[in-house]
This record gives sequence, C-alpha cells and structure tokens, in this order.
Amino acid sequence: MKNKIVAMLLLMLFTVTGVMAQQSSKILPYPIHQKKLDNGLNVVTVPYNSPGIAAFYIVVRAGSREEVEKGKTGFAHFFEHMMFRGTDKYSKELYGDVMKEMGAAANANTSIDRTLYHMTGNADMLDKMFEIEADRFQNLKYSVHDFKTEAGAVKGEYTKNSASPYQQLYEKLVSTAFTKHTYAHTTMGFFEDVVDMPNQYDYSLTFFDRFYRPEYTTILVVGDVTPEKVNGLAQQYFGNWKRGNYKPTIATEPKQTQTRYAHVQQQGFPPYLTLAFKGPSFSDKYKDLPALSILSNILFSQNSDLYRKLIVQEQKARFIGGGPQFSRDPNLVSYSASVVNANDLQYVKDEMMRVLNEAKTKPIDAKKIADTKSRIKYSFAMSMDSPDAIANSLSQYIWLTGNPEALNNMYAVFDTVTAKDLMDVAKKYFTPTTLTVGTISPSEKSLVK
Amino acid sequence: MKKIAAYILPVALLAASCTKQPQASQQTTDTAATTETAPVAFDANTAFGPNKVVELQNPQSNKVIIKLMFKNGSMSDPKGKEGLTYATAQMIANSGTQDMTVTQIREKIYPWAAGYGASTDKEVTTFTFAVHRDFLNDFYPIVRGLMLQPAFAEDDFKRVISNQQNYVDQVIRASSDEEYSKKALEDLLFRGTNYQHVVEGTSASVKNITLEDVKNHWSNMFTRNNVMIGVAGNYNNEFLNKLKADVAQLSEVKPTIPVAGQPNKPNGVQVEIIQKNDALGSAIFTGTPMPVTRSADDFAALMVANSFLGEHRKSYGKLYDKIRTTRSMNYGDYSYIEWYDNGGSFQLPNPGVPRTSNYFALWIRPVQIAEGLKQQYTELKDINVGHAHFALRLAMREVDNLIKNGMTQEEFELTRKFLRSYMKLYAQTEEKQLGFLMDSRFYGREDYLQEMDQLLANLTVDQVNNAVKKYWDVQNMFVTIVTDDSEAEPLKQALLNNTPSPMSYSNLVKEGLPKEVLAEDDIIANYKLNVKGVKIVDSKDTFK
Repeated sequence: MKNKIVAMLLLMLFTVTGVMAQQSSKILPYPIHQKKLDNGLNVVTVPYNSPGIAAFYIVVRAGSREEVEKGKTGFAHFFEHMMFRGTDKYSKELYGDVMKEMGAAANANTSIDRTLYHMTGNADMLDKMFEIEADRFQNLKYSVHDFKTEAGAVKGEYTKNSASPYQQLYEKLVSTAFTKHTYAHTTMGFFEDVVDMPNQYDYSLTFFDRFYRPEYTTILVVGDVTPEKVNGLAQQYFGNWKRGNYKPTIATEPKQTQTRYAHVQQQGFPPYLTLAFKGPSFSDKYKDLPALSILSNILFSQNSDLYRKLIVQEQKARFIGGGPQFSRDPNLVSYSASVVNANDLQYVKDEMMRVLNEAKTKPIDAKKIADTKSRIKYSFAMSMDSPDAIANSLSQYIWLTGNPEALNNMYAVFDTVTAKDLMDVAKKYFTPTTLTVGTISPSEKSLVK
Repeated sequence: MKKIAAYILPVALLAASCTKQPQASQQTTDTAATTETAPVAFDANTAFGPNKVVELQNPQSNKVIIKLMFKNGSMSDPKGKEGLTYATAQMIANSGTQDMTVTQIREKIYPWAAGYGASTDKEVTTFTFAVHRDFLNDFYPIVRGLMLQPAFAEDDFKRVISNQQNYVDQVIRASSDEEYSKKALEDLLFRGTNYQHVVEGTSASVKNITLEDVKNHWSNMFTRNNVMIGVAGNYNNEFLNKLKADVAQLSEVKPTIPVAGQPNKPNGVQVEIIQKNDALGSAIFTGTPMPVTRSADDFAALMVANSFLGEHRKSYGKLYDKIRTTRSMNYGDYSYIEWYDNGGSFQLPNPGVPRTSNYFALWIRPVQIAEGLKQQYTELKDINVGHAHFALRLAMREVDNLIKNGMTQEEFELTRKFLRSYMKLYAQTEEKQLGFLMDSRFYGREDYLQEMDQLLANLTVDQVNNAVKKYWDVQNMFVTIVTDDSEAEPLKQALLNNTPSPMSYSNLVKEGLPKEVLAEDDIIANYKLNVKGVKIVDSKDTFK
C-alpha cells in the first residue's frame, strides 16, 4: 500500500517536471488520520508497515516559550522531569516496572515550543501505553520531597551541558538577540533559576494545571495500528480529561534597531562565528520560511560557492552552515562558521555577509533552485524509514501549528518558491539592524565588527 | 550517515573529529598483569575477505544502502602515525575520484540527496553510501570511483589533516567532559597497546602523517582480502553482482592485521584525575577488563546483569535509581559490557563499532563539585570535596553487592522480559538492520539480535549470577575523573586516604529523605575502595 503511494508520488514529481507539484500530491506518502475528542484532545494516527512496532507520541504545546514569569525559566523542562514521579495508581517505582515490562524505548524532551513524551515499542502493548500515559497526564501526584529531589537532576543536566562552549554561546546569543520575548532564555533556563527550582513546588502545581490539558495536547501514533483502535483507546483513557482555560500572554519582541554582539572567551578551542538575523515565525501558507530554507541550502551547503571558497579552496573555515529556526513566534535565521584562525573571523564574517547581500539583487539560477527543491524532497523521502522517524517529523508540525497536515502543506509551498521570492526574503531578513553576531575566540572581547 | 546530518556545527565537528592521546606521563601504568584472552576465540578476520557479503534485499524500500566494512581500524595505525587509518578513511570520504573532484561529486549528487561517509573505530572502518533507488545507477559509478580510483588530492589532504589535528589538539578536551573522561578511561585501560590512542590519533602523531602514508595505507590495509560487503534495500541481483565484481578489484594485498591490544589489569583501584579550568562538575568513568564479547554465549547473561545494574539512558537501572532518582546527584548513571558509541547523543546503540577487546564500565555523569555546592547552599560552606567520591563509592558498592548477592528470580525475569522486547528496537531502519547483521559476522554470529534472544530465552538466574561473579570486579578498576582544578587535589587526598565521604545534601533535599536512605548513606560514606594510586593530570597534558 504505502509503496504504491511512494511510487505514484515520485512518478508525479518526475512527469510533472518543474516547479508546481499538484495540489493532491503530499510529501508524506502515508495518510494522516485525525480525530478531535470533545475535550479538545487531538488524536492522530498514521498506519505504517512496521510489523509489531508502534511509536506512541504525546505532544504538549508548552515549552520554554510559555515561561512568562520572572524566575521561572527552565520550568517546562523541569516539569517534564516531574512527569516521571508517579501517581496514586502508579508510583514512580511501579511506573518504572511497567515500562520495563513493556520493553519500550521511552523518554521525553522539552524545547522552546513544546514538551514531547515518546514511547516506541510492541504495538500489542498499545492499550497499556494509553493507560499509563493517561494516568500520569491526568493524575500526576508527587511529594514536596520528590519535587525538591528532582531539581538536583536538572542541575546535573545543566552541569553536563555547560562544558560545551557552543552551549555557552547559544545561551548568550539568545539572551542578547531577544529582550522581551521568552525566546531570550534557553529551554534549560538561567542557572540561578535552575538552582532555585526546589523552592517552586506551588508553582509546579499551577504549571500542571495550566498546560497539561487536552487543548494543549496531541496524541500521535505511527506504525502497526489502525485509526479505529487508536481513537477508541484515546476516548477510553483520555475522554474524561478536563479542558483548561489558561492562555499565556507572551511578550512581543520589539523591533531590533542595531547590530548586537554576544561573545564567549575560550582559549584552546576552535574560533566560531554565528550571524543571527531576526526571522519569521512558522507558517505553512507563506513562502518566507521555505524560501529561506532553500536560500540557506544554496548559499551555505557543502555544494555552495562560499563553501568551496572558504573550506575547500582557501581553507580558512572548517565548516559553514545554518538556516531559519522553525518556531511558533518569530525566531532567528542563523548562519555559523568554524574558523581555522581567530584572525580570520572578520574575513569570514565579511564573506558571509557578502553572499547574503548579493542574494538580495542577484537572481539565483533556476536549475539551482530546482536541484535544491529536489534535494529537500528526496532527503525527506529517504528519511521516512521507521515509525519513530515519521512520528518525530509529524510531531514538529503538530507543535508548530496543532495540525500535522502542515507538513504536507509546507512542502507544497516549497514547490512554489521562485528566484524572486529568494531575493525578497534576502532583502527582508538579512539586515544589519536585526543582526546579532556571536563569537567564540581566545580574546576577551569579540574583535568582529 | 554523519555527513548528511552535518548541519549544525558541533555535530559537524564531532563527525569530522579526532581523538585523544595518552600523555607522556601516562606511559607508565600501575598494572598487575595482562588479562586472559576471551573464552570464545572467534577470529574476526575470518568474517572478511572475498565473497563475504551480507544481504538485506527489500523491494518495498525506496532506497539502497551500501556498506563496505574493512577489518582495519585505529589499532593497525603504525607507531608514531596514530590516526592514519582515520585520516585514510576521511580522505576517501572527502577527496574525489580520479575522474571527479569532491566538489564535482557534491554538485552531482546534490539534487538526489544521496550521501556517503566514513567511520573508523578500533578494529573496523566502514564506508556507508545511501541513495534513493531512482538514482542508484547514476550514483554507483561514484561509489566505484571512490573505492577503486580515489583522488587523494593534496589540497583535500591538507584540509582533512588540519581538521583532524584541530580535533586532537582542542575539540576533544573542550566539548564534553563526559566523552573526555570516557576516552581518557580507554587511554588508561589500554595504555601501551594498539588500543590506547583515540582513533583520530594524538597531537604528535597526526603531524607525522603524510599523503604518501595515506595512499600506502589504503592499498595495503583496505583490500579485497579484509572487506565485508553489506547491501540493503531496493537493489537487484545484477546490481549485487556488479558490486561484488568491483569490490574484488580492490588491492590484492593480504594485509597483516595486528592482534587487538588487551586491557591492562589494574592493581587495585587506579584513579586519574584530569583537571581543567572552570568545570562545573566531575565527570566520571570507571572500567575493568572483561574477556567476554558478543561471540560468547555468556554475553547474554551479562546483558541481563548489566541491564539490571544500569541500562543505558534508562531510569530502571540500580545506579540511576540510587544516584539520580533517590539522591538527585546528577543526570544519569549507567553500566556497559561493551563499547557504546557516543552515548550522550544516542538512546539506542549504533552498529559499526564491533570489538574483540573488551571491558566492563560504569558511567557516572557529572556530579557537583565543592566550589559549586558552597556557592549554592550556605549550609555546605565548610565542605572540602564535592559529590564525586560518594558517587564512586555508591556505584562500586552496587556492583559489589550484585557480585556478592546476585539478582533475585523476580528481578531476573523482569529484566529478561525487558531486554527481549527492547532489543527488537535496536534495528528499526534498514541501515541499522544491515549494520547489526554485519557486526554479527564480526563476532562469528549469523544474527546477533536473534541469537541473543534465543540465549536469553534459555537463560537462568543462576547463570547470570555466576557470570557476574566470574567476570566483574570492583577491587581492581581504572577510574578517570574530569573535574575543576579546585576539586582535583582535595578529591585526590580523599580517595588516597579513603576518607569518609558523607553525602553533602542541601537542607532542602536532606529534610525529606527517608531514614533508610540516610542509613545507607552512612554505609556508602565509609565503604572502602581499594584505591592504590591517584594521579592528577592537567588537561593540556592528556592525549599528547
């Protein structure tokens, strides 16, 4: 079944040739079944030929973006940890035993826009998966002591990450680029807030009450399952989950009016440069993000002129790359370079700015654009090779828009991007006034202008 | 396919990366004896050579994966040129063919999203090629060219070796303290053997590698006589025959592959503390030689014990439960009965790193240092040492307890059930299935995942407990700790003197702890580690 669809899709891409794919052609060759329960919980099923295996994902559309109160950065992530601390029915020990018995690969992670709980395992265990997840999503209960204890693990996570200068730069870069919006802090949170977490028990109850609600949540199952079975189990276990009413007010980031700088001093480490421009928010209708993605590929991939110049010929850089971040609110379009000598940081920056500026007025060759679209599509097609891979991909569009079909929609928009669109987004976004320059080098201050 | 994913710089650097080196001061080790050889002596070399092919045809697939695995890894690097095998593999992946430059290849395969890359481990080097079935016929001549007529261009060599040098000089010490302590542990375990150096070589040795060395290494060590072909996905027999015929055109040299270096047996607990500036925590790895690999049926028994003690990135293990869940000391704690590649980034194991030389290891993720704890909690203002000593005691005592007391029938049943289901998730994609099958052959098995499942089915709790007694040892272990320079000396003294290390909780956590935990803490704080030597090494002096 699925392969026929793939074949048809590819045939279409080939025979239709050129830019416009037909409206009916979807990049994901598997139908997406959706059902919204009365309480607002969205249930998504994608049957896929993976005998005996199913990926069960729960997407909560709350991440560090929703951390609007001062002193509460890192809380969405901390809360993800708390979700493993048990309920009246399943204590954390019992939950662990059940998980172990299922032999699933299960975990969770948090990002700027969402918290994701995932479990991949035996499709015959689907009923149990639903039962234990529904229980903790509705009846989570932990002691004050467990709460305080878990905070130490989060501090441990911060500690392990902190060794990386890239992580240090990222933290500085976002807090420099954003002044009002919650994207100013990383998902990990500010260290002082992480240290203070054990004192925030009451707030944790508020957090659960606000966001662990059906209207914030989507259940996604991919693999050896049917929509009837999944919808039935969703109704059975999540049907009585009560809707909430909280809507966060997230500050709008004021327009940036001059170039900003973020620097990490680090001896004995490869010099590094990031150019981060203010970019658009995600949309599956407008061309900005697909155009920026295509342009980023053309300007900075291994196949780009600049890569050839800086890495292959001059050997002044070891790597260049980057692109727009897909997120719910306007975020950064970033390009980075690992530079061989710190003395060349300015040169590499100037070269990157040169190609970004040229892109504003110099139309990109039509073949290059077609090749890039082809690359993006084939790359996607080849990567959809397991329930996990498909669920991961779909979950992104779920947290971005609430609707997994956004994946198909966005790839359809890719097809419509023209050379003019590429120039338009270059003009719109590659402006020095919205730029933040990040650097890692041995000097005390950044020497890059 | 590291190459394909390399979009974020740190990832790219890891992919392009190199290894660590032993330091001058590290050339001597307090070693009691060399471990005995493996109980099952399968000669991995026999899995490679003419007509050794692993097939995984799937007409439903939209792509084709080709893997060429050579029985040649960093352990066959010549002395003084450590990193040569890695450099050679990278030159295949990053230089072109005699017909096409690397730039021309990238240009050509760009619209297809085809990709290829090389990975080198201690004993094998694997080239992986992936292409959509629509472009197999266009892509294949490139695969053929890279294998049979590689360019080895001077300019590409300059770039490849510069990245490798950068990795061994800088990146390895400054990216992840956890990976650092893991590689430092191998340096200690295998000191003086061909397994000691990281696959990327050392700061000194990479400088000695020439393009001539690379060319010679390719024709002498990557040949038709030590290759295993793997192919998966949507290909036909005609394609397979062509591939086999072409691989048979590789150099005809019969390479001399050295015997894998065996781990040193430590005399007591031997600790190396690597100090650096501004580390927030202490990252700990500890290990001891263990002569069992996937070749041996005993491996199944050890899998159960290992999963019970510390299944990778799972909260069910004893170590995780006691160190993280109960005491909140760090992000996680696990145990290993074989090399686990890049465990910080992967939840499930990756194929392509089979090894004949083995050890048992514990991974304790960074715990707090005294300097940090003092700043965070006034009640801890008088402490001298952070949590590393206590964590190490706790972990070793858990192993000790398991050796002495074994698992119960119930624990055994639950863990076995978990593994039999969980292992099915190791190979969810064609590429992984192929990789695990190829690794199976290295160990003298047809299909490791299936065979282990059968062995697990027939296993008894007594077999597990006996295997633990026979192969695990906490009296003699190597330990590496990457930590802040403020922590190094106090920690050294505490370890050397077996000073009691009461767990320094913040009041917040302490007040709610059950009394059983506090009682166990007292025992752990005084648990005697058989420490016989502690050395402090400066980070800049490692992997020289």
